[in-house]
Formats: sequence, structure tokens, C-alpha cells
Amino acid sequence: MHIPENYLSPSTCAVLGAAMVPVWKRASANVKREFSKKKMPLLGVGAAFSFLIMMFNLPLPGGTTGHAVGAALISILLGPYAASISVTIALAVQALFFGDGGILALGANAFNLAFIMPFTAHYIYKIMMGRGGNRRNYIAAFLAGYVSLNAAALFTAVELGIQPVLFKDASGMPLYNPYGLSISVPAMMIPHLLVAGVVEGIVTAGVYGYIRKVSGEGLNEGRGLKIRPLYVALIVMIILSPLGLLASGTAWGEWGADEIKSIVGFVPQGMEKGFNFKSSLPDYTVPGFSEHMGYILSGIIGVLIIVFLFMAISAALFIKREVKITDK
Amino acid sequence: MDWLFREDRYEPGSDSLKFIDKSLMSILKILSKIDRLGGQRRGILYGVTPPLKLISTILTVVCVSTSRDATFLLSAGLFVLINLIMLEKSDRKRVLALGITASSFSAVMLIPSMATGNIINSLIIVYKVLLTVSMANILSVSTGWFDVSASLKLLLIPDIFILVLEITLKYIYLLGEISLNMLTALKIRSIGKNNNKYSSISALMGNLFLKSKEMGEELYSAMECRGFTGEYKRVLAFNISRIDAVYAIIVLALTAAYF
Repeated sequence: MHIPENYLSPSTCAVLGAAMVPVWKRASANVKREFSKKKMPLLGVGAAFSFLIMMFNLPLPGGTTGHAVGAALISILLGPYAASISVTIALAVQALFFGDGGILALGANAFNLAFIMPFTAHYIYKIMMGRGGNRRNYIAAFLAGYVSLNAAALFTAVELGIQPVLFKDASGMPLYNPYGLSISVPAMMIPHLLVAGVVEGIVTAGVYGYIRKVSGEGLNEGRGLKIRPLYVALIVMIILSPLGLLASGTAWGEWGADEIKSIVGFVPQGMEKGFNFKSSLPDYTVPGFSEHMGYILSGIIGVLIIVFLFMAISAALFIKREVKITDK
Repeated sequence: MDWLFREDRYEPGSDSLKFIDKSLMSILKILSKIDRLGGQRRGILYGVTPPLKLISTILTVVCVSTSRDATFLLSAGLFVLINLIMLEKSDRKRVLALGITASSFSAVMLIPSMATGNIINSLIIVYKVLLTVSMANILSVSTGWFDVSASLKLLLIPDIFILVLEITLKYIYLLGEISLNMLTALKIRSIGKNNNKYSSISALMGNLFLKSKEMGEELYSAMECRGFTGEYKRVLAFNISRIDAVYAIIVLALTAAYF
């Protein structure tokens, strides 16, 4: 998943690196506050741990092997801020000392693996756990690993995929990564959704379960984030969603076929002949409402659907396990 | 007593140990890389003061990544070649091997793009990958790792990151050895067919974490006993030798070619 040097334009690297600066700053402030001095070396140990986890090969169907990143695991065990620092250091060690992943691309790699991944994992874990007891632990840990790795992969794919559209030479040839979103997203997401995410999930749940079993105490000293700000952020995002109307274009990567034509100059064959999904709320407008209200409503409906889906999944899993136990 | 004379017929079913072997190999590789860094080496490039080397490497990597000028890219190639010549033979081999692996990997990845006519830009990417990967590895093989992390203080990196980095470097080795032992133990105990291997792996990783947690706490206590307060003070003793001056002039000339 590491992006090597020269696949992203230097400006993309700079933007993502700049985006990481406040994250790193907050993370180090938070860790200084929440961790007792005695636990500080845990960060380094966590980084070394994450580095080594990447060395453990797990058997995959078809005779190949894969490895986990471990960011989700560290996020659950030590809190997302600590995980952010640990994974950043692990990436820096790989870039500086092993020539693996670019020095300039470090900001981009850190954004995907040391920001998106641990924080996604943390929120998924928190939401799935709810007030539930121990039984949900494993499922929550698995999902945290699975979803967070895929989120990181998606960000990586999008960063790579926007390069050919944004950076071209005089003759219109791509300067950096030449493959657009229509190639980079499936190329990244299919293996991650099918294989790598499962590996990450199994490792996260397995190791977490083992550590809980062996020593239940003192796992998560950096208590991590409260869930409430997440809800606030969601509500703010819903309210702000009409802002999207102000922008003239469509969101990056969400072009319709005709818009692709105006940007790229031709419509990729697969997209032209691809299927058109008829959403029940076409173009995010609800019939009978003004455009802005419609946008806000679509946002609320979308978020509610996702929340209900999560609740349904966790409830279903919960009931199943309950039944299993009473059967015995 | 009869059974004593009977021939034993134990034929275990075939069992795959491949993933254990693979893990063992990749950890061993890392450990050997770190182990190698203990000894002092002789050579001009090894004598350049580490902060200068770190800053120059970052500077040249940034220049190479942003440049599209043929003259500059060629002179950067020349610079890398000169650096390679200054290295010891075994190091040179390693840097070259890593650079060629990385660039041929990206060449393969870019084949479809080249087939559709995007040849020059793809070749530039392959060339740049070769240059930047070689530069990073030249820095890595010619400088003590702890010298690099000490130089980071000059780049205004916060203390907490340096502390974590130093502990990481130390612990990759220590934890690597522990996991090597545990993996070997698992392999030796898996006589015949062992179906529990896979579940052992998560226990192994879990144990690794618990062990590292304990070691980390002990380490900090020990550091505190010796008066460590969480802050690094670096005495800036800049002894610019003749080699440093020459190196700096070459790097400056290279960056001048960039503009």
C-alpha cells in the first residue's frame, strides 16, 4: 500500500504532508497529556511492533501470502493518536532506512496509513462496541481492521487516480501515475476488499482477543476520542452539504459519463457501456423540496441509512451469538 | 515386548510450513540489515558528517522529483554514480540491487501505459525511481542510523518523534529476535501435521505485544534513573572537515543545476 516516490506529483505530496502537520501536532500534544511518562516508550515499541507485523506472512488461498499493517490493532490497543505517531515512525523508518516508500511521498503515505486508517478503526470499533459487553469485541475488532484498511486503500487509489487528470505535459500525456480513477480504484479495492482487508481483520481480532484473554488490564491508556464530536461533525457536514451546489463541477471522481468526456476528452469504453444505477433520490434531490433542503434531507437520509445498517448488522451478530450460547 | 521389534510406520500427512518459512526469512533479512550496521567502515562517503548528508539527500530527492530538465536529471544520475563508487563493494551491490528491483517493478507496472503511447514520461518515472531509491539507500548504508535520528533534531523535528524513532530502531532488533525465536519454536513443535499453526500466529503476535509493553516500561524506568527528562539536548559541534566541504560544494553545484 505504500506509494513509492514519483507516482504522485510533488504538489500532491506537499498538500497531503501539510494536512498531516496539524494531525501530528495534535497527536503529540494528546499523547503527552494522556500517556503517563512511563508509557511513552510504548509508542516506539508500538512502531517497532507495527513494523514487524508487516513481516509476518499469512497464508492466502492460491498459495500466496499476505501481511497486515497493524494500524487498526495499535489504534484499538493504544488509542488513535498514539497509533498515528507509531505508524508515522514505522513509515519513516521504512522510507529513510529501507528505501521502501518515498521520502517525499511520506506525507501521503502517512495521511493514508497513519491518519485515515487508525482513526477509521477507532470510530468503527467504538460505534460497534456501543455499550455492549465482551461478546461484541471480536466482531468490532475484525470490522475495525477490515473497514479501516479498505478506507486507507480507497484514499490511496483516489490520490493515485487523480494524477493523470491533474498533471499532464504539453502533449496531454500524464506526468506521474498514468492510470486514472477508473483503473486505480478497482485495481486497489478489489484485492483489498476480498483479501487484504480480511487478513487485517483476522489479525486485528485474533491478536486483540489473545491480549484481552491474557492480560485484560491497562490496555488503552490513551482513552482516545469521544464519539460525540463525530456526531457533531456529521451534522455539520449534512448542513454544509448544499455548499456543494456552489461549486460548478461535480465532486472529484463522481463525474457522469458526459462530464468525463469534457475533462478527459473521451469516454472510457467501460463507462459508456456501464450500467446506469437509478437511485430513488436522483442527483440528491428530493422531489417537492427546494434544491438546498433536498440536499440536506438526502444527507440526513443517507446517514440514517448507514447508521441503521450498522445497528442491524451488530444486532444480528449479537442475537446469533446469544442463541449459540443458550444452545449450549 | 513385541511392539519394540515392530517397525514404526508413522507417515505424517503433508503439511505446509511455507508461511512460517517466509516470515522467518523476512525477519531474518531485516535483522541482518540492522546487524550489519555495527561496524565502522572506511571510505570518503562514510566520513561526511551525518546532518549534512541527511539534508543533502532530502534536498536532492526533492529536486529530482520536481525536475523535468534533462541536464539536471543526467547530472543527478552522475552524482548518484559518484556516490556509488565511493561506497564499499558489498554496500554498492546492495544499493544497486535495491534500486534496480524498485525501478524494474515500476517499469512492469507502467507497461500498459507505455503501450498506449505514453513512453517518455513513463521512462522518466522509472529513471527517477532508480535515482531516488538509490539516494535513500546510499544514505542508509553510509550513515549510522542513530546518527541520522540525531540529525533530525537539526530539522526541528519534535523530541517525542525522535524519542519514538530511537526506541523503534532499537526495538525492531530486539522484538525481531524474539519473534524469530517464537517462530522457530512453532516450527520445531509442528511435528507431522499441525492444524493449530494458524491460530498460534495470532497468539504469537499477541505475546510479542505484551512482551514489548513490559520491555518498554522497563526501558523508560531505566532511562529515568539515568536522568532522562524527555528532552534531547544536542550540542552543536560542527566540525566541518575537508570532506564535508567538498561534499557540500558538489551538492550545491547539483542544486544550482536545478535552477
